Amino acid sequence: MTQYGVTLTGLHARSEKTIQATQDWERGRIDQERLGKCFDEDVDSLVKLQHKVGVDFPTDGQLTLAWQDLFRPLSSGLSGLQPGPMVRWFNTNTFFFTPVVNGRISSDGKALSKAVERKFFDPHAGFKIVLPDPLTFAQLADDRHYGSKEKVLFAYSDALNTELRSLSSSGLKYVQFLAPSLVYRIKGKPLPRSTVEQLGEGVRAALKGVQARSGFYPCFGDASPYLPYLFDVIPTDDVGMDLTQTDNSGLEGTSKGIIAGIVDSRTTYLEDVAALASRIEDLAERTGAKTITLGPSADLRFVPRTSADEKLSLLGQVKNKLKGKGARPSKRSSKK
Amino acid sequence: MKAFPTQEIGSLPKFGWRTKPFRQMALSDEDLDAARRWGDRLQIEGRDDFYRLLSKRYSFSDDEKKTIIDYSLLYAIGMCERAGDGDASPRGLDLVWSGEQARTEMYETPVTNIGGFEFVGRVRSFDNKYWRMASVKAPPRYEKNYHLDEFLFTKKHTKRKVKVPVTDAITIMAWSDNNYYTGKWAKKPGLAPARRSFGARREFTLELAKIIRRVISELISKGVEEVQIDIPAATQYQSEDDMKLVAESFNETTKGLSATFSVHSCFPPSTGYGILFPHILEMKKCERFSFEYGNRDSFSRGLDPESRVGFEDLKLFKEYGYKKQLGVGVIHIHTDTLPSAEVVRDRVLYSEKVTGLPRENLYVNPDCGLRTRRPEIAQKMLDLTVNGAELARRTPG
Repeated sequence: MTQYGVTLTGLHARSEKTIQATQDWERGRIDQERLGKCFDEDVDSLVKLQHKVGVDFPTDGQLTLAWQDLFRPLSSGLSGLQPGPMVRWFNTNTFFFTPVVNGRISSDGKALSKAVERKFFDPHAGFKIVLPDPLTFAQLADDRHYGSKEKVLFAYSDALNTELRSLSSSGLKYVQFLAPSLVYRIKGKPLPRSTVEQLGEGVRAALKGVQARSGFYPCFGDASPYLPYLFDVIPTDDVGMDLTQTDNSGLEGTSKGIIAGIVDSRTTYLEDVAALASRIEDLAERTGAKTITLGPSADLRFVPRTSADEKLSLLGQVKNKLKGKGARPSKRSSKK
Repeated sequence: MKAFPTQEIGSLPKFGWRTKPFRQMALSDEDLDAARRWGDRLQIEGRDDFYRLLSKRYSFSDDEKKTIIDYSLLYAIGMCERAGDGDASPRGLDLVWSGEQARTEMYETPVTNIGGFEFVGRVRSFDNKYWRMASVKAPPRYEKNYHLDEFLFTKKHTKRKVKVPVTDAITIMAWSDNNYYTGKWAKKPGLAPARRSFGARREFTLELAKIIRRVISELISKGVEEVQIDIPAATQYQSEDDMKLVAESFNETTKGLSATFSVHSCFPPSTGYGILFPHILEMKKCERFSFEYGNRDSFSRGLDPESRVGFEDLKLFKEYGYKKQLGVGVIHIHTDTLPSAEVVRDRVLYSEKVTGLPRENLYVNPDCGLRTRRPEIAQKMLDLTVNGAELARRTPG
């Protein structure tokens, strides 16, 4: 039978109280300590909510100042990088500071450790982290050093490996690569298989020796041009799809876990639980996947916190509806 | 026609004395001092009466709050009219506005005054900057003209040409939670997921465009000659269909209207403004595109592509044979680090070089509205706009 889980696929929304605190702090009305307390409460409530809805690998929501954007701990913490011009984050009204590569990218293994709020996690259960995948990094970075996106991709992957090894010795149980650049094709054709294979090599390099489960989740676009081979080429335990954008009928058997981005993270509209469950049952039946982890289609920071939490709870309801349902592993399952 | 005319893009920062009375906060000594300092510097008419009003510090009546807003409009007009260090001749911007001082901000004001919306909370845009997201819960409907009073006041208090910035339908759609239309389109059978979400976006956008057209039509009937259609979200949704929708929305908004229309957009994805082409050229009534470029540029002097790396995208206009006007953003507005006037001059001259447009068709402006800066920095940015354009004018073409 298919086992169902729930996960967060990206950065979570800050609460209204935390939002106000960040603004008060910027204007000198409160000190760093009070701001930190607000973030602590915020992370604590999110971790508790994840436990309540049955999330196996909870995150801290990556909602502290360290994660002003998905790149920031890396662009500020890895040698050879620095945050540069502000650029729109795909098709959202949010922005990130371009990582500028002005030297050899290297890691001392401390950049991510500083950014994760570990005190809220059970040391045995551990935590999950979401990071930009090597292709997205290479595509969005402003390279002034290597002279080739391929070199940037592998340099980033190697530096990430140092970071992840360090994190896996201090409680990291799941690393998920967020991979919008793979599927977000504005006018161009889908990337050639050779590029996806190269990405797979980058992911392999980043994960080498890392003792944690891994996932790869492309968001903001249609993954169907890469199905089913994406599941073979990307060397993670789970591979996902943004199902608000993807027609997944091209995916048949797989021995990998599937991350199903089933709930639309871009609107407060609450989907019908039965309709979502029905889509997932169909996916389970067709693929015979051993695990399907339900998630939002992307970060839930794109809606206010109240709605973000409602969406997370909705995922828990879908999971409950699916309990005991689903396909037996398919004979058509592909090799991992 | 003047070479390298200057314009602002829309918003200017609000002083503490403008915002605090509306948050039930008392004015501080610093607020009163700023009001005096800037009032004297800008030679605001009736300022002594205004200082007396502010000295009350708190518990302002509704009429007094209205007076405070009126003065904030005067201060903003003054900042535009007096921009430049005195070497520029004549001083000040050629196209002015009252800094959106009467608005909450460019998104909140329209969604507060168009029916069908409900605020659902704040969402982070970047770092510790947020916007108050409204959710559309029913088809949007016209309720009142939310720009008329500020226009009439501004027109009365300046002799310069006025340009009214109006937030467009695409931006309101993109920054809102599309709750109603997502639900409506979720019920349509047999559509691929991406078609479903685009259908919801398009229907929402075109409904909004009809309302904004009515707002602009009424403004034109009261004397507005120039309207800047603000589309910061033009490059947000980036599919081919969405790019066509940007043009369709503009054409729907301006259909049957007679005025000078320009378009402002900013902060595109890392691929730049290329994604808008060729569709934006279908905006038939658009006389000028005013885009941000300073953000991505270097602080080095020079007219070479390396120094002017942020302005490379301007080549697109030449490639597509564009002959009308451009507004060139020459100052990055999300930092207090300022370029020199000479660098601004070089940015202007490089724009001339790569577009091949006549100087009178190239407007000079900051990248975007200046509401996120402190007044001192915002004024310096306006000064640099005027001074840099003047230096460019003095350079033989």
